[in-house]
Amino acid sequence: MTVAAVALVLLALLGMPLFAAIGAAALLGFHAAEVDLSVAAIEFYRLAEMPTLLAIPLFTFAGYLLSESGAPVRLVALTRALLGWLPGGLALVALAACAFFTAFTGASGVTIVALGALLYPALRHAGYGERFSLGLVTTSGSLGLLFAPSLPLILYGIVAQQLGVGRPFTLDELFLAGLLPGALMVLLLSGFSMWANRGLPLSAFSRAEARAALWAARWELPLPVVVLGGIYGGLVAVSEAAAVTVIYVFFVEVLVHREIPLRELPRVMREAMLLVGGVLVILGVSLASTNYLIDAQVPARLFEAVRSYVDSPLAFLLLLNVFLLLLGMMLDIFAALVIVVPLLLPIAVGYGVDPVHLGIVFLANMQLGYFTPPVGMNLFIASLRFRKDVAELVRAAVPFFLVLLFAVLVITYWPGLSLMLGRP
Amino acid sequence: MGGGRLAGLLAWLEDAVLVLLLSLMVVLAGGQILLRNGLDAGLVWADPLLRVLVLWVGLVGAMAAARADRHITVDVLSRLLSPRARRYTRALTDVCTAAVCAVLAWHAARLVVTEYQGGAIAFADVPAWVCELILPLGFGVMGLRYLALGIGRLRGAPPP
Repeated sequence: MTVAAVALVLLALLGMPLFAAIGAAALLGFHAAEVDLSVAAIEFYRLAEMPTLLAIPLFTFAGYLLSESGAPVRLVALTRALLGWLPGGLALVALAACAFFTAFTGASGVTIVALGALLYPALRHAGYGERFSLGLVTTSGSLGLLFAPSLPLILYGIVAQQLGVGRPFTLDELFLAGLLPGALMVLLLSGFSMWANRGLPLSAFSRAEARAALWAARWELPLPVVVLGGIYGGLVAVSEAAAVTVIYVFFVEVLVHREIPLRELPRVMREAMLLVGGVLVILGVSLASTNYLIDAQVPARLFEAVRSYVDSPLAFLLLLNVFLLLLGMMLDIFAALVIVVPLLLPIAVGYGVDPVHLGIVFLANMQLGYFTPPVGMNLFIASLRFRKDVAELVRAAVPFFLVLLFAVLVITYWPGLSLMLGRP
Repeated sequence: MGGGRLAGLLAWLEDAVLVLLLSLMVVLAGGQILLRNGLDAGLVWADPLLRVLVLWVGLVGAMAAARADRHITVDVLSRLLSPRARRYTRALTDVCTAAVCAVLAWHAARLVVTEYQGGAIAFADVPAWVCELILPLGFGVMGLRYLALGIGRLRGAPPP
């Protein structure tokens, strides 16, 4: 059994798709426990029994439609007209635009590729240092994970809900909980950017430019209201808000702006569903592996083992930060969510951590892990995209890393920041 | 070679089904909101059908991801290997993936047969086994794809 486990981990590290590695682990576990292996199929089929899951393909499709249209350009133009006159203005533009964009596309690689190409040359042109610009674009690639309707946020909610451990909560509550911690990250990075570029000459605010940019983005501006208004107003469920969003985005980008020709639509759909398929098979097989782990009482035993070393909740949180940071460096966020949350949630609840707070801490750490030197994934994506050495990107990312590390620590040790908005 | 044509046809079919399922999903989810809020009505079978559609879209999407070799991986070790060594390790992981898919497909097929004999109904008049049919199909196709990927790598074919 141990040999098989080691072999599986090795295979996964060599590039075996995660769904296959997790699936194999579940099958081996069931086999050892002498359970009929068709249980794995039955567990996988539970994907068809989760109503909120509908939000995942719909929001992802909406995000891909947005990224294929001219919306990123209009978004940058708008934030530039509104914020560009501030000290470090263009850096603020990058932060705001990336946060907004990642919230919709969920996967952070997409943001670097779609927006980085737009923002990096603009930053350099406006006189921002090369190192600062690279660091900013790499960091911003994962900013916004905490804002609804980001895919990882929804996925955490779904995974945690189906475990049924600790206080039950709704996705709306999770969406609210992400707002302040996400805003803290954006604010701290903005402050740092302003300070780092205080020497740059300022540009004047142009009322005409702002008006033109607002007008150009008039169709995209209501989007946050379309997405969040209905949910927070209690009018629609999350999956319904996803449906409204996708129909609205389709209407705007395909029919009004006509930036995505109809013949391109199948390709965009396919691209989006490739990601959805990749995430859903991992979720499906992990339902099976989680079922096995719970049957074998692994979370309970893990909690006992951890408790014999760590007695205070504070020490646990510190350990959690280190662990999640390492995890985020190595594991894709979707995989980390479905594999680790089922093991982690029962332990965290045992230490008195609120499940909603844990979700925010988890995602905040993952976001940081994305560009943690030396192996954070965004460093490699940015290195490919901007044709720079990884070592150069590592140096560029360090100050941003420290700023966000501070934010993550605040988020971890101040549960109120995450929980105050959701309280009835 | 006939295999290439068949694979091309399958790829086309897969894309078409994916587009169709997603479109149906959007229309159905949107229509349901209109009915519920506008007419205070709603189709009883729409919600369970939407849930099954999520499963189907997920698996057909996963089939397409297998075709493009774009499933989510960790892959930290193979970056350190030489291209030649990587070819062999990836061939190994591909064949192992194919084996896992085959086992999953086989047991999913057993589930479908059991449900067919049991005659359980998923919703409306749709039998459960029809909804579950995508499980053996999806994992079966993914298994074949990874087998082909692995063999192709050993022969030195360019990655997709």
